[in-house]
Amino acid sequence: MNRKKFFRTATPYFFILPWVIGFLVFTIGPLIFSLIMSFFDWPLTADPKFIGLGNYIEMFTEDDQFRKSLVISLKYAAIFVPLNMIIALFLAMLITQPVRGVKVYRTIFYIPAVISGVAVSIIWGWILNSDYGILNYLLSLLGIEGPRWLVDPAWALMAVILASAFGVGTMMLIFYTDIKNISIDIYEAASLDGASVSKQFFSITLPMITPTILFNLITSIISSFQQVTLVMLLTGGGPLNSTYFYGLYTYNNAFKHHKMGYASANAWVMFIIILLLTALVFRSSSAWVFYETEAKNSGAKKKRKGGKEA
Amino acid sequence: MKRNVALGCVLVLTTAAVAGCGGGESASTSGGKTKIRFASWDVAEDVDRQQAIVDRFNETHEDIEVTLEAYGSDFDTKISAGMGSGDTPDVMYMWNYPSYYGGLEPLDSYIEQEGADYKENFYDTLWNYNAMDGQIYGIPVGFTTHTLFYNKDIFAEAGLEEPTDDWTWEDLKEAAKVISEKTNAKGFAFSMKPDPYDFEMYLWSNGAAYCDGEGNMAGSINSDAAKEVFQMFQDMEKEGCAVATEKSGTDEFRAQTVAMYIYGSWSINSLNEDGLNYGVTKIPSFGGQPSVSILSSSGVAMSKDSKNKEAAWEFIKFWTSEECNKERIGLELPVLNSVVESEGIMDQPEYAPFYEMLEQSDGYTPASFIIENWSEVSEDLSLAFEQAFNPSTLMDVNEVLEGCVQ
Repeated sequence: MNRKKFFRTATPYFFILPWVIGFLVFTIGPLIFSLIMSFFDWPLTADPKFIGLGNYIEMFTEDDQFRKSLVISLKYAAIFVPLNMIIALFLAMLITQPVRGVKVYRTIFYIPAVISGVAVSIIWGWILNSDYGILNYLLSLLGIEGPRWLVDPAWALMAVILASAFGVGTMMLIFYTDIKNISIDIYEAASLDGASVSKQFFSITLPMITPTILFNLITSIISSFQQVTLVMLLTGGGPLNSTYFYGLYTYNNAFKHHKMGYASANAWVMFIIILLLTALVFRSSSAWVFYETEAKNSGAKKKRKGGKEA
Repeated sequence: MKRNVALGCVLVLTTAAVAGCGGGESASTSGGKTKIRFASWDVAEDVDRQQAIVDRFNETHEDIEVTLEAYGSDFDTKISAGMGSGDTPDVMYMWNYPSYYGGLEPLDSYIEQEGADYKENFYDTLWNYNAMDGQIYGIPVGFTTHTLFYNKDIFAEAGLEEPTDDWTWEDLKEAAKVISEKTNAKGFAFSMKPDPYDFEMYLWSNGAAYCDGEGNMAGSINSDAAKEVFQMFQDMEKEGCAVATEKSGTDEFRAQTVAMYIYGSWSINSLNEDGLNYGVTKIPSFGGQPSVSILSSSGVAMSKDSKNKEAAWEFIKFWTSEECNKERIGLELPVLNSVVESEGIMDQPEYAPFYEMLEQSDGYTPASFIIENWSEVSEDLSLAFEQAFNPSTLMDVNEVLEGCVQ
């Protein structure tokens, strides 16, 4: 009897056991390990040595590159995140339009998101080359002399942002499915009331998809801080360290300079920054994110209340 | 709930940047055979060729079984992660001895057992690059020096004599000027962000270096001779007879937009495939002494944690033998005197200059072997050099080099 009861309650846990094991071994394990190592000086080829908060102190007081890389990553996130979301939303709106061959466009917009980051970096390296790149060639047709994208430190960050925006497809798809989910009745009612197309977008579409916007905002903030592949392969952090992102800085400390403990500390600082930013976004979300279910429930409550009073 | 999911996302994604540790012990003997793990950094067809050689070793050795692990571009990451977790392959390709020698087995005693002839058959210059603090940690497998590549068609178009191995930088500059004026191509190309490891050869050629024997950079990298070198490159760029390239310059050379550049033997295969009409000769000198080239050398090394050192050495000996040197021609420049002689490599005009540069580059130790935290110093130097050569800055050479020693 007891055993039967045990199995009944335990069965669901058995189903999720593979995931739990994976999570413990490959996520929580390394996470805790890296937290511990962040208090050590660990040159990889020799044994770790405990140095307390030494790594953190060095980072904030002695290492100029730490601050510089952090600023570069913040700058990147500040430009990339909104830009990426606007482009994704715009494309999503385009592919929800009832035009012929929309499936073709949908595929075209999404394909870049399927290509591996390495290939994207190499392709953009060619596109952006100042001597034989196609981008500057196209600009020259318009009579514009294109900047030396990957050579001029003033333009390199823009070049990286441009190349990252190439992978906008996934976010577009998430917006797309959510927009498709909005009941057509609402739009019909609105157009009967004489609402213009732009009015419909700002008063119906946008509020209805705010939960998705929240999701995309958070995931893209996180991924923009972790951008490594692109800068490693496209610019190598250059020119003149203008694209030496925080992720690359951490990676180099770990695997180029073999300062595993220091890099762990770098990663934890990044973790805390991301955590704070995410918490901030969540805090603000109650002010601008609109959940349909919540609205219905609160509406229902009001009605009941009203009914009692009457 | 939603909040928890999102926090979970943060956790998972952040860990991706942190992960990279772990590992475990694997059985090193089974079925009476000693197992040896061998790590290579090569990719694609090169790995197939290496696998074929490994297979032959396994066929002829009943008691040893070698498995080839091709790490490709992840080589450094995996070797360092392996050393961190005590899970290093028994035998591995190696070039960056200053970073890894702590995890490697000194090989001097093994070499001694093979007798004096064994060691002498290797080009002498190579040992210096496979050693650290006077101890040998790797057996040379391949190398490249740097040489001057030139495009014969462009030289003909400009009506110029082709470069010879007694050229000085003055000669190169004169020719580059003529080419830049008379043809659509630029005369000379060099990287605007040169790897400091490679660039030191120009300083050596002019009697300078990055640092003294103790690793002090002050007085060396900011010496007049060093400044002269940087000034010359910057002047060529300013005067428009040279172009500073984003990468090594190979792309530009293949596209025939530059007539000359200095590089290792890596590009020979692709230049041949292109059918480019090119020549190779020694690096120009600064006039006084013969020019010196940096060596990019590869060796095979043994992990100090290996449990089967005898078997590992057996395999290393096989991998560095005459037979294997011959087999890898086209993949790597052979490092044994006897092989270079028997295969007539000195008669091949596109390969001979690499050996001539090798012979006249003996006795120099790169700063990476002397300066303790080279990988970080190298990063600072790289930034400094770029400040001098990036066309959007072209900072004053004096200022740049004085900045390096502060």
